[in-house]
Amino acid sequence: MSKPVPVALGCEPVVGSLTSSRKRDYKVTNRLQEGKRPLYAVVFNFIDSCYFNVFATVGGNRVTVYQCLEGGVIAVLQSYVDEDKDESFYTVSWACNIDGTPYVVAGGFNGIIRVIDAGSEKIHKSFVGHGDSINEIRTQPLKPSLVVSASKDESVRLWNVHTGICILIFAGAGGHRNEVLSVDFHPSDIYRIASCGMDNTVKIWSMKEFWTYVEKSFTWTDLPSKFPTKYVQFPVSKNLFMLQIKIYYNCIQFQVFIASVHTNYVDCNRWLGDFILSKSVDNEIVLWEPKVKEQTPGEGVADILQKYPVPECDIWFIKFSCDFHYNAAAIGNREGKIFVWELQSSPPVLVARLSHAQSKSPIRQTAMSYDGSTILSCCEDGTIWRWDAVANSAT
Amino acid sequence: MVSKAADSAIKLRKSHGQPANDAVGTLSSKIDQLEKQIQAERFVSIKEKLLRNGKKVQCHVSHVVSAISKRDSLHTQENRINQMLSSRIDHPLFKFNAFSQVSGDKDLNNSLDVIFTASIKMPYIERLPPYTSWIFLDRNQRMAEDQSVVGRRRIYYDQHGSEALICSDSEEELTEPEEDKHEFTDAEDRILWMAFEEYGLTEEVLDAVSESVGGTRQEIQDRYKILREKNMERQDQESESSGDVESRIGISLEESLSTALDSFDNLFCRRCMMFDCRLHGCSQPLIYPSEKQPVWFEHEEDRKPCSDQCYLRLKAEKILEGNEATTMEEGVLTLASSGAAELGNKSTATTLVEERCNSMNATPFPVEVAGCGGLNLNVPVAESLGKRKTINQSDKALSDLTLLTDDSQSSCKKQKKITDTDVVTAVNDYNRDLNVSACDEKCIIASECLNDSVERASNKPLLSGSTCPDEHGNVGDGPKDGMAEAEFNESSYFMNEHVEGMKSLSEWKPLEKELYLKGVEMFGRNSCLITRNLLSGLKTCMEVATYMHAGGASMPYRSNVPPNSLKNDNGNTDAECTDQEMPTRARLIRKRGKTRKFKYSWKSAGHPSIWKRIADGKNQSCKQYTPCGCQSMCGKQCPCLHNGTCCEKYCGCSKSCKNRFRGCHCAKSQCRSRQCPCFAAGRECDPDVCRNCWVSCGDGSLGEPPRRGDSQCGNMRLLLRQQQRILLAESDVAGWGAFLKNPVNKNDYLGEYTGELISHREADKRGKIYDRANSSFLFDLNDQYVLDAYRKGDKLKFANHSSNPNCYAKVMLVAGDHRVGIFAKEHIEASEELFYDYRYGPDQAPAWARKPESSKRDESAASQGRAKKHQSH
Repeated sequence: MSKPVPVALGCEPVVGSLTSSRKRDYKVTNRLQEGKRPLYAVVFNFIDSCYFNVFATVGGNRVTVYQCLEGGVIAVLQSYVDEDKDESFYTVSWACNIDGTPYVVAGGFNGIIRVIDAGSEKIHKSFVGHGDSINEIRTQPLKPSLVVSASKDESVRLWNVHTGICILIFAGAGGHRNEVLSVDFHPSDIYRIASCGMDNTVKIWSMKEFWTYVEKSFTWTDLPSKFPTKYVQFPVSKNLFMLQIKIYYNCIQFQVFIASVHTNYVDCNRWLGDFILSKSVDNEIVLWEPKVKEQTPGEGVADILQKYPVPECDIWFIKFSCDFHYNAAAIGNREGKIFVWELQSSPPVLVARLSHAQSKSPIRQTAMSYDGSTILSCCEDGTIWRWDAVANSAT
Repeated sequence: MVSKAADSAIKLRKSHGQPANDAVGTLSSKIDQLEKQIQAERFVSIKEKLLRNGKKVQCHVSHVVSAISKRDSLHTQENRINQMLSSRIDHPLFKFNAFSQVSGDKDLNNSLDVIFTASIKMPYIERLPPYTSWIFLDRNQRMAEDQSVVGRRRIYYDQHGSEALICSDSEEELTEPEEDKHEFTDAEDRILWMAFEEYGLTEEVLDAVSESVGGTRQEIQDRYKILREKNMERQDQESESSGDVESRIGISLEESLSTALDSFDNLFCRRCMMFDCRLHGCSQPLIYPSEKQPVWFEHEEDRKPCSDQCYLRLKAEKILEGNEATTMEEGVLTLASSGAAELGNKSTATTLVEERCNSMNATPFPVEVAGCGGLNLNVPVAESLGKRKTINQSDKALSDLTLLTDDSQSSCKKQKKITDTDVVTAVNDYNRDLNVSACDEKCIIASECLNDSVERASNKPLLSGSTCPDEHGNVGDGPKDGMAEAEFNESSYFMNEHVEGMKSLSEWKPLEKELYLKGVEMFGRNSCLITRNLLSGLKTCMEVATYMHAGGASMPYRSNVPPNSLKNDNGNTDAECTDQEMPTRARLIRKRGKTRKFKYSWKSAGHPSIWKRIADGKNQSCKQYTPCGCQSMCGKQCPCLHNGTCCEKYCGCSKSCKNRFRGCHCAKSQCRSRQCPCFAAGRECDPDVCRNCWVSCGDGSLGEPPRRGDSQCGNMRLLLRQQQRILLAESDVAGWGAFLKNPVNKNDYLGEYTGELISHREADKRGKIYDRANSSFLFDLNDQYVLDAYRKGDKLKFANHSSNPNCYAKVMLVAGDHRVGIFAKEHIEASEELFYDYRYGPDQAPAWARKPESSKRDESAASQGRAKKHQSH
């Protein structure tokens, strides 16, 4: 096939236009330099309403907790450092124990999950078990004691940070066949998670059958290592009318552009309602609907609904983030620019394109505040940028 | 509608005269239009979807909000103050002021460095040696189709160069033709439909459509056909208003047995005796052993009625009745019934004889009882005996009340029994009964028929057992054809009477009939067992018995016993089956006798190629065994022979097949040395095959041999999983290592190296990926398969390589499957780490495993049959 193969008729996605609507304007209000090592993650606390303006960053062997104050002021609240200088944290997430004590959960190169009790400034627990680096940790919003981690060891694991138990391991015969890069809890279906990784697939898992183990983990009093951790080997079992979604990113690529794409990890996915937002290294975020294939119930197809182009975003490990209400998503690119997309409008609207003459380093992750008025970005060069919405702009 | 469209197309062409350009021109514009319309519709539908989804998102968010507020209400302001995080908010470590909007970008030149004065330390924790999540396997699995990496793009991330590279041979990938069939979307269907309906199925239209839709002309044409059919169906359905859609729950009784057994045949592994076998896979070719298993046997006298509806109850009544009715022929009756009782499984015999007596007394009997003269005929066997006609006819004569048909039927039945169960003496016995009780000539003729056929079947005069040799002799050499004809006439005479008997049969569903036949195959004519095991809930024992006697069903198919072996068997058994009371024992004796016949010789034990391998001492890769489906003896076309493997117990061929591996005969050696042909051939002993290698599971209280006596075979350790406890821990050498819990001696079996069975092609591909990660768990198994323990395996996959190892790996053939056993090379103490020689090729060893001297020494010391880790090329 020499010419580009067009998307099958009637299945075209709506592609957002890159002309900024300027619905909201953002200005840089602060910039911090946190050492020289790359910062890989930044995340706001969405767990506890009095800490909505608190955020955490990780980079190198450090975990730092900040607060966004009025007028662009940033305060450093807490700082933690791993005694192992070789540790390089890749991801951080907020969680809490059952009485509401805020936890910062971080993981990285060493594969050890550090659960920091931000309430007492102590290490609450360290989870050893992953066989390799941890690429992402996410918290279940409805039960914030549950966190899920995606690892290079090709597994996704569900942990109870309160009791320190590894409840489930999502790996095995139907599992990922290369590093897992990203994982996310379904916003309302508490049993469901989606994971994606270097094997170019997105997999949707259900832990419904195993939910008793999750419940058991809260009341477990014996040693955590004695907990009967279960293996979930197959993404969503057939008899429960669920599905395993596989999007072969190269296939989709193949249909859109013919350009041979060498890098096609799926490095970030998030649920948007029942749809999934995912991103590869193809300069765009894709919104798609998981569908069951009628002939082969175990495997799914993706109906790609919308595309949110992000120029110069062709390296992997760049993650986007949404505000609390999923109105908008912000993503940085290789050249230090940030694109803010309105997620739920069709066709997608580019809210703003943020750029600054001095922001040139790749942005690894962004964080949008609760209402989307503040956007943080953390960069390869160790800087944290704060962008605030300009009040007077049109809504 | 279609025809109308076609008409219009014709009209179109006719009216235009020069149809091509104009029509196509309008067509393409129309297609364009339709495309745009479809696109617009799609966008609208996406918008709607997003709107709907947006509501869901709102709903989710509100859930989370309420969860947050619930948590907030849980803890009071006070305990929050106690929290460090809250207090830090009041007293931050440091504050960075914002850029003043006035100075703008200039501020940025002085970067605000975060200075960490009061960092809290996280105590050092040693990281685990890296590993990939893996699944424990206690037996090998064949790779599932979707696990293949061949033809799939795999990207390798270079940790040092921070570069992503495609890990594949690009040329190879490209040449693989992406034979993707064009899948038509709904929208394309619409265009297609519109174009052909309005413009007809012409070349030009085809071209235009294929241009806009894609896909080849043929595909488009095919698709159009499908669409047309669908459309027709839809119209039909609309007019008919969703008619009779019967919901089918479970197995319909109308289905045939083969349909119902489809999943069994496809999913049940006959080698592993389990469903969904991951080792041998689904849809294995079905191979039926040419030697049939003897049917289940139970002495009738010992049997208790299985239920209220058991036919045994019925029989008991009949006997009573019979005793009263027959005074004159008491002797005959007793003789007959006792003889019949001896027959054991000839359950019908008693009633048969009684009945005859009764009928002589002119006592009319209900049809269903009379029907007990009916029979099951093994048609193939009958054919081989050249009496097909007669049998078929008598088969149909279900409810004959006369002596002749009774006898002919029973004789036919006997034939079946003979061939089926090899209990020849039983027939002799019955013969005698017949002869004694037979009062008229017809009967004699019939019994002669029987004897004749028995003779032909067994190739041996059976008269010795008969009490009426004279009568027999009279007709013995008479022309058989005449008798058959006589029978034929007689039976056809009674044809009209069998209709009554058929009544009860009419209620039998096809599935039930076939289940019944299977039951006969398995249990013989034992209606209790058949009912209990196969037809429970469907038919009562009585019904089954009635059906059986009515002979409505022909014999089980697939009794592919070659006549030759039948003869042999009968010949063998004859002498031993003198004990008429104990047919079961007789069978046992026969079995032993037969085994003895295979004069065992050490040299003849294996197939030549295997011996060659052993003799050469070369590490030839072993051949994958696939059971052959040959009948009786394997000829030159036998796939096993062709492949260079021995025939095994899973093959269809007979036990006397020359290509069979015949196991060992070792008595006291415990099969631990090369004296044992199994051991020498790299095979484990098989209790099914070897003479003295058995498995016992009792404690000796039942008189069975003790479990681990001196004579216990020591060459079934993989089969019996007599493995050591292996521990997983950080290695002293590199990464993870396998350790031993308890001390072992030299040559002790430690455990199996399990994994996924993958093809060599797949292994080469995976090997490349693994080599980059510098950890490979591939293991050459045989000419077809490589074991990969990367994602699935057991702890022994972590045993490290050493050029001076304390273990060795050996590929063993265990019940037809190659498996890798790890054995101790020397005495190993408890909690020692296990090493074995991966047998890397000269250049393949990783740096840490490469030692200058070792490789040479290894090669010289390499013993045959030693397995080696797979090397990708």
